[in-house]
Amino acid sequence: MKLDPRTKLFLAIVVNSVILSAPPVYSVLMFAVPAILLLFEKKWKFVLAFFSLYLAAVLGFEHLKTMDVGRVGTLAVSTMMIVSRMMPITIVLYYVMQTTKANEFMAGMSRMHVPNKVTIPLTVMIRFFPTVFDESRAIGNAMKMRGIRLFSLQTLKNPFAILEYRLIPLLVSITKIGDELSVAALTRALTPEAKRTCIVPIGFHVQDLVVFAYCIAVVVLFLLRPVS
Amino acid sequence: MPNVKTTGKKSSNTLVRDLVNVGIFAALYIVLAFLSSSVGYIPALIVFSTGSIALVTSIPLFLFFSKIERSILCCLIFCGFFGTAMFVMGQGILMLSISLLVGLLAGVALKVFGKGFAGLFSANIILCLMSSSMMLPLWTSTEEYLEYTRTMCDAGYVAKLAELSQSPWPLVAIYAFGILGAVVGGFIARRVMKKHFERIGLAK
Repeated sequence: MKLDPRTKLFLAIVVNSVILSAPPVYSVLMFAVPAILLLFEKKWKFVLAFFSLYLAAVLGFEHLKTMDVGRVGTLAVSTMMIVSRMMPITIVLYYVMQTTKANEFMAGMSRMHVPNKVTIPLTVMIRFFPTVFDESRAIGNAMKMRGIRLFSLQTLKNPFAILEYRLIPLLVSITKIGDELSVAALTRALTPEAKRTCIVPIGFHVQDLVVFAYCIAVVVLFLLRPVS
Repeated sequence: MPNVKTTGKKSSNTLVRDLVNVGIFAALYIVLAFLSSSVGYIPALIVFSTGSIALVTSIPLFLFFSKIERSILCCLIFCGFFGTAMFVMGQGILMLSISLLVGLLAGVALKVFGKGFAGLFSANIILCLMSSSMMLPLWTSTEEYLEYTRTMCDAGYVAKLAELSQSPWPLVAIYAFGILGAVVGGFIARRVMKKHFERIGLAK
């Protein structure tokens, strides 16, 4: 099932804002949308693992949040909080990144009359989040082979060394990737002044309407909730 | 070549490179800011979290500033992205406007002082005010912010936040640690730039 890039953007914004300000019932309701959409993409195992971990974190947090659990408990509860709050956002972003190609995203943004000076860095940024993590993981592995770890006695002795061992290789590699990316963009005649055409047809269909209606319904339900 | 006539305009090729750099460094900045601000989840270290963000992000920011050619535009978009990310995550319109203002000021500082150490250093210090403002709603709209954190954190953490919001001194400390982090980070970043990036030709 194919959604319009604008619908995906709307979904991501609604999920973010509802989840970060509403009680857990609404976040479970919102979590369902990307989960079902991912099921259409045949990601059964991923959705199942994510959903069970998410439910465990939400239930655990709801049970423990009113108690004064001490310092260690606070850390555990904070972790649960981060998991329960961040996972739905992660799953939406994962869905958006997995299914949206850069050209579709740019076409969607240009239909919304967003200037290219904003669209180009935004597209690069969205494409770059996974790259940052991948590069960081690869550098971590390389450093592990040389016996340099994030949590070790050596690191404790000289915490700034870890900046040098992890951050600088990361910066060097992503700057190189960035330079290559801008060269690739230039060879495809990407300029902020010209309007681009897109070979993939984008537009609103029935599935977009369903997702829109569902998101708006959840937001309305949230806004009209009985205040205790 | 003195005989070559130019239109005086910067090429649009460098504009694309600048915009790509903004995207890359914005992604890196957001990831690093979130990772280093997680120090603040330990209640005793809330005040120091802004310092750790400024310290860790100084090196990428120095590299970013030295790579861009259109300082004001790039800094404005860069900070606009961070502010929008914060806004979407429930921080309110105040954070977005502070981010845009900080971006403008940092761009102007880069333009005025140039790409030397003075320019990079001052822009870095101005930019750290953006990440330091993340806790500002705790003082400007205390009740709303506490209500917002109550849905996310346990009672002990919220009580600690409420205790902090009683006096303005923790706010001063948050900004002071942020600026201190940026100053220390700036000196580290200068050494790192000389030792690594200038040597391999990534920065001038």
